Amino acid sequence: MDFSLSDEQRMIQDTARSLFNKECGLDLVRAAWQDHNAAKPLWEKHLNEWVEIALGDLADLALFMEEYGRTATPGEFFANVLAQQVATEAGLSLSGSATVAVAGEDGLWQPNQQSTKHFVPSAHDVEQIIVVTGSEQIIQAALVSTTDVTINEVEHMDQLRPQCTVTVNAMGETADIAPGQWSYCVQRCLVTTAAELVGVGRYLLESAVEYAKEREQFGKPIGAFQGLQWKLVDAALELERAAAAVAYAAMCVDADDADRVRAVHIAKAEAGQAARRCARTSMQVHAGIGYTWEHGLHYWLRRAYAGDAFMGTSEYHFKQLAAELFV
Amino acid sequence: MKLSFSPEDENFRSELIAFLDEHCPAEAKKNRDLIGSDCVDEDGIMMIPEWAKQWQATLFDHGWMIPSYPVELGGRNATPLQTMIYLEELASRGIPRSVHFGGYAIVAPSLLEFGNDAQKALAPAAIRGDTVWCIGMSEPGAGSDLAALSTRAEDKSDHFLVSGQKVWTSYAMVASKCFCYVRTDPEAPKHKGISVLIIDLDTPGIEVRPLRHVTGHAEFAEVFFDEVKVPKENLVGELNKGWRITMGSLAHERGGLWVTGVAGCQRAVDDIVAMIKRRGLENDAAIRLKVAKLYAQVHSLRAMGWKGFASFAQGSSAPEHSFMKVATSELQQTLFELGMDIQESGLAITDPAVAEEEGRWQNTFFGALASTIGGGTSEIQRNIIAQHVLQLPKN
Repeated sequence: MDFSLSDEQRMIQDTARSLFNKECGLDLVRAAWQDHNAAKPLWEKHLNEWVEIALGDLADLALFMEEYGRTATPGEFFANVLAQQVATEAGLSLSGSATVAVAGEDGLWQPNQQSTKHFVPSAHDVEQIIVVTGSEQIIQAALVSTTDVTINEVEHMDQLRPQCTVTVNAMGETADIAPGQWSYCVQRCLVTTAAELVGVGRYLLESAVEYAKEREQFGKPIGAFQGLQWKLVDAALELERAAAAVAYAAMCVDADDADRVRAVHIAKAEAGQAARRCARTSMQVHAGIGYTWEHGLHYWLRRAYAGDAFMGTSEYHFKQLAAELFV
Repeated sequence: MKLSFSPEDENFRSELIAFLDEHCPAEAKKNRDLIGSDCVDEDGIMMIPEWAKQWQATLFDHGWMIPSYPVELGGRNATPLQTMIYLEELASRGIPRSVHFGGYAIVAPSLLEFGNDAQKALAPAAIRGDTVWCIGMSEPGAGSDLAALSTRAEDKSDHFLVSGQKVWTSYAMVASKCFCYVRTDPEAPKHKGISVLIIDLDTPGIEVRPLRHVTGHAEFAEVFFDEVKVPKENLVGELNKGWRITMGSLAHERGGLWVTGVAGCQRAVDDIVAMIKRRGLENDAAIRLKVAKLYAQVHSLRAMGWKGFASFAQGSSAPEHSFMKVATSELQQTLFELGMDIQESGLAITDPAVAEEEGRWQNTFFGALASTIGGGTSEIQRNIIAQHVLQLPKN
């Protein structure tokens, strides 16, 4: 397997990194926490035009999402990326910003008959909702306007990316999605989420390493203490492992490789676990200052835990992997 | 990024597989978890079996010993990617190239990089296995702190006079030459007074005492030097510049190790899944979750090794590779231990007639305890990663 990036992929990575560094600083993140309309200009002026990256190779999208995660980016871009991928497979054409409603109370993307869908990201920030219903075999999707459904925001850790319940009274015209196409969508959306989590973990780890070099106690930088060094090394190992697992899963899905089912469960589980590990480690290394609201480290910590929970926790995906191993 | 390789590289793979099918002896196909672990005589002292000698020579003669080297060094000028394909094919089949890796993997590359013409000429025999080498590094007072070594080589104008002791020296009882780190300037700071000498082990004044492992076998030894005369021309590289060579040799050791490490983990986890099914434990939720988490680690580490390789091949640094030794050696231990735990109350039974796979898991667990110690302990590896990869200050 060849992980080397093409010139085009390098460009995506570089462009994304400078875009998020420039347009999504901590001030914006803080403002968006107070009022999510504060992130609207970022979406309208910049990210809206990047949505199409969701239609290309998953490997490219994963590179972009890693950078997206690095700045704890607020707003509806994430929901739109999911919606684009589902719309493509369902043959729906979106006419504005959109999100996806599918999960039941368990949060898993398993089509069900319930009229209320849970864990729907950014539902009240978009114009359309792709509602997916049905069973394992018969899956249907419909495009509904946000004005035709009842949306309730559910308070959760990561208010930068609100999650809602959506109650659908009438589906209207539906399109069929074949089970194979649906699992392809789910795999893409899982890798999208996992890639974002790797970026979240990167920020958490890198900020901890930087802080450990600057902060002095007992007359030397705290990063010179072995106890702290090993903590950071172990978090870095887990993160690098997850980053590789995500890149590999993206390649497998793009190539329709037989290993993709395992690879995707592993990518989501490893990325969720790594992001959480980096969050705890970063908090411990930043210590008192990191624990203040004002410092802002908590925004990434919140995204790490909320991202791990989205579309099935690490624990869930490890169990799914076990089901693959013990058939 | 892509999963597949070019037709040329796939041809290389097919050619290798055809060679292995034709030439590889049955003894080399035993899926050894630990290379050389069963190459011992009736007293448990390491020996090099005839098949292993012939296999190493056959690999060399067909250009399959170190594929990236030219023909005269047992290779075929393979590209770095082809070398990776080679290592993975061998490792996934559990086929060792040699039962003593010091000579081909560390001594030969170091001689080729630092040696004079006469010393470079020793490399082919080291790679082919015709000359067996040991490496004199650790001493009773210099383990992790290798630069504290005190084996003294005094300059006696026409020769060096060597006195001191090496320990944990792998293969010393089967080797004819020692690539030996000695102190040539006791006054200089510790990293600046070390040199490397080639010492023939039949020189008067040398005593090799086999030292048994916790496994009961002796694969390493203590080597005592008592006023051993070593010719001046046996100095490798510059006087007092030996520390550079240690850094080089350890890099050779680490560079190719991850593939074997990951393949060993993969074999272990696959066999654990099979054992769980065999013992009817596949519905035990705790075991399922544990195995899935370990499987995920193996799978991700393989991807991580390849991801590091992509940076390496493009000429960038590969932080991923720094993690591979500590990660695969610790994971291997965990897996072998799980292989024992699955045998429940039988975990400590080593009787080949009773234990699963003739006691394989107990044996490999004992053997793998060495993998987080030798070649730089896990603790030293973590310090290196902290300071060189994360760039944290020295402690």
